[in-house]
Amino acid sequence: MSADRAAAHRITVDVEVDGRRRREEVPANTVLLDLLRDRMGNTGVKASCERGVCGACTTLIDGVPTASCSVFAFSVDGCSVETVAGQAEAGEPGPVQRAFAECGGFQCGYCTPGMVMLTTALLREHPEPTEEQVREWISSNICRCTGYRMIIDSVHRAAELIREEA
Amino acid sequence: MTARPSAFGSTAPRKDAKLKVTGAARYTADVTLPGMLHAKVLRSPHAHARLVTVDARRAREVPGVHAVLTRDDLGGLDAVFGYFIKDQPIVATDRVRHVGDPVAAVAAESEAAALEALALIDVEYEVLDAVPDVDAALAEGAAELFPGDKPRGVVPPYGAGASAELWPRPNVCYEFRYETGSEDVWERCDHVFEDTFVFSRMNHFHLEPFVTVADARGDRIEVWSSTQNPFPLRKEIARVFRVEESSVRVNVPFVGGGFGAKHNCKTEPVAILLSKLTGRPVRHCLTTEEGFLTLSQHAAVLRVRTGLLADGTFLARESEVLLDAGAYTDGSPLVAEKAGYRIPGPYRWEHVRSSCACVMTSTTPAGPFRGFGATQATWASESQIDMIARRLGMDPYDLRVKNLRALGEPFMPGESGIDSDLVEGLDLVAAELGYHGRGSAPNRGMGLAIGFKDGGGVNKPAQARVKVNATGQVFVSTGAVEIGQGISTALCLVAAEVLGVPPERVSYAPVSTDTSPFDQGTNASSGMTVMGRAVQLAAEQARDRVLEFAAGHLGCEPADLELADWGVRLKETVHPLPPMVAAVFGGTGYEFSGDGFFKAPNSHEAPLEAPCVFWEIGWAGAEVEVDPETGAVTVLKLVASGDVGRAANKLVVRGQEEGAALMGYGQALFEEMRYEDGVLVNGEALDYRVPMAEDLPASFVSVSQEQGHGPGPFGSKGAGEGTMVPIAAAIANAVQDATGARVTTLPLTPERVFRALREATSPAV
Repeated sequence: MSADRAAAHRITVDVEVDGRRRREEVPANTVLLDLLRDRMGNTGVKASCERGVCGACTTLIDGVPTASCSVFAFSVDGCSVETVAGQAEAGEPGPVQRAFAECGGFQCGYCTPGMVMLTTALLREHPEPTEEQVREWISSNICRCTGYRMIIDSVHRAAELIREEA
Repeated sequence: MTARPSAFGSTAPRKDAKLKVTGAARYTADVTLPGMLHAKVLRSPHAHARLVTVDARRAREVPGVHAVLTRDDLGGLDAVFGYFIKDQPIVATDRVRHVGDPVAAVAAESEAAALEALALIDVEYEVLDAVPDVDAALAEGAAELFPGDKPRGVVPPYGAGASAELWPRPNVCYEFRYETGSEDVWERCDHVFEDTFVFSRMNHFHLEPFVTVADARGDRIEVWSSTQNPFPLRKEIARVFRVEESSVRVNVPFVGGGFGAKHNCKTEPVAILLSKLTGRPVRHCLTTEEGFLTLSQHAAVLRVRTGLLADGTFLARESEVLLDAGAYTDGSPLVAEKAGYRIPGPYRWEHVRSSCACVMTSTTPAGPFRGFGATQATWASESQIDMIARRLGMDPYDLRVKNLRALGEPFMPGESGIDSDLVEGLDLVAAELGYHGRGSAPNRGMGLAIGFKDGGGVNKPAQARVKVNATGQVFVSTGAVEIGQGISTALCLVAAEVLGVPPERVSYAPVSTDTSPFDQGTNASSGMTVMGRAVQLAAEQARDRVLEFAAGHLGCEPADLELADWGVRLKETVHPLPPMVAAVFGGTGYEFSGDGFFKAPNSHEAPLEAPCVFWEIGWAGAEVEVDPETGAVTVLKLVASGDVGRAANKLVVRGQEEGAALMGYGQALFEEMRYEDGVLVNGEALDYRVPMAEDLPASFVSVSQEQGHGPGPFGSKGAGEGTMVPIAAAIANAVQDATGARVTTLPLTPERVFRALREATSPAV
């Protein structure tokens, strides 16, 4: 199908994004990444490889970390999507975000929103993760800057902060 | 002096932390303008071909398409760009020189419409012989990528012993040469060893793609671009589009990684020209796949010949480096100069002769990459030192220590002194690794290496402005780009230290060429030692103006006063500044400002025409286990260490050192752009493997040194490249320690290691 014909076929997506119900009409071939960035102005979700490899665009769909570049918008109809923008509380960084800031788990910052979302999902499943679990989970996203150790430190620190605030 | 908390040496979060962890940081990829169109480029499917016809008529009819740019649209422009050599066209004019070479471009309402139009551009090629690698390009009778009249270029002035030549032979665009001391010493050598090394190329793989938004409506050209050097980019855009620099404005939001890739023209010319043709702003954002066809590191072949006395004293080193420059020169001449100059390493020699040639091949253009020639040079240099030590029955550590230059000793005649104690660093790494007490377990071994590069760059003028408002808020403004390395944090800490204010009161201004002070570029680890000095001088001037003002108001001498948390201390009394400022300037306010300028002085005595600003050293040690059945190398422990002189922010420094080391680790073991029959076969994220967290060695230790000898503010030096440079050699040296087998080609894949094991164990024929 030509881009033109695909664009002509529009569908309605009913989705909850960071706790707010959204209803958008988009071309059928729109991916979640473009829905979030281009339609909703959520540029905290980063576009990079657009092949589902690097994880910069990671969001949580019904709690599951997913590369939003590789999911059609129609497939999140009726779902809840969490992005980095929803991690801040009243404009202040949440515990995972504070841990990344405190431990220097970022440099250029382009992978950071995806890493923050991955960490959020990891710590829901394993509130006190082992080193091995952290490495395994973080291995689904690419960071070209840090060498990962300071990201791993950030994940452990985030676990502590969440426990302290529980 | 009264004691006060030092801003310098902080472990506080970086200035950009909150913006980046919340996703609020704005990058060029996030910039949109009303009415903005999207550009896509048609790329050559051939490695080398003559462009016969380009017919865009059908493409122009696609709904949503506003313009198609071909070679017919370049009239009135100086449409080729480059660093020393102007050879790269905006779109191909007479021939294409690599797969991916831009042939035409479309601006459309959406990227999808632009892609649809690209498919309708009819191009007729006459395929020519490709020159896929250095050997093919240098072969007798090889096809020439630039036959006939050569693209214009310049050779910069060089000092003692150094020279260079443009287009010395077919398919070689530039050759750098350096020589010092008499070659007669070869006659005194008891041993002479010659070895050849092969270095593979990587992609930068910055996560934010190459991207530009251009608005060239009317008389001005305004771009937002993901670039490391906004001012040289402004100059190049002005030259190409034949306008004054005052008509060009380059804005640089946060940059999502550069690693050397984001210099000079990349996505900008196409975006600007399409904006001119359409009268609309145009966004030109490359895919990751296009990034692989835009710029890479230099592959290299390095031949090194080393002569020494029986006791291990080095006498002479001769080297010949061939860099694979790819299809266009980009930064290759500069990389050649550095690779050729650095290859002797930080050792004492009586005679050095080196040459480094940039060989044009029909592959992705190669250019600046973190390490900038030093990674290639050190791979050969530090590998050969271990090979020689083992041939002589010496420990490689002892051979290094015997020949290393001392602290303060010039690298070469006319050069600045080396500003790190090299043995001190080597000992730290050896101790952390347990090198000296290492056991002799089968297939396990340890290796060391020292990475070495001249940092800070030559001919890098840097200007800075620091201003302080009536309430003591400090604004630092420079052209240094925050690409993730933490320079905005470090420069704010320099100003905070000079002005005696808490770091949280200092902010870093966005970079825009109309308003930011001039800077040559964000590269060569020059942020601290070059721009840091400019910021320090600017802050000192602002401070002096505050003290003069306060002295006038208080009726004393400026020398009697000291700044303290936006008050002035006179003897035991602190006088707050805000009421003083209000009394003189009124309630609207006032800003004290200072300007700073720094450039390392030129000297014709120095080989590169200016003594090196600082020496960026990276020490590395590795412990490996080699599986003799498969050749697989497991790094059990990796130790990397740099010397930053004095750390402005310890988190920033650690992050730079670990990140650089892991990049070197990927290069050592698996990361490479693979060409088969001249075609790149893994140029996309799925097939191209960069290090992931699961690849980390079981133990990965970084040791930040603060030796305190740096020329930057408060004894600092630069960081960010040094620890990448020695990693591959340290791991290969450990493999030889473990098995006796030597691999001289990167990366150290199981197949290569396995073959080397077979060679090492089978009897010589």
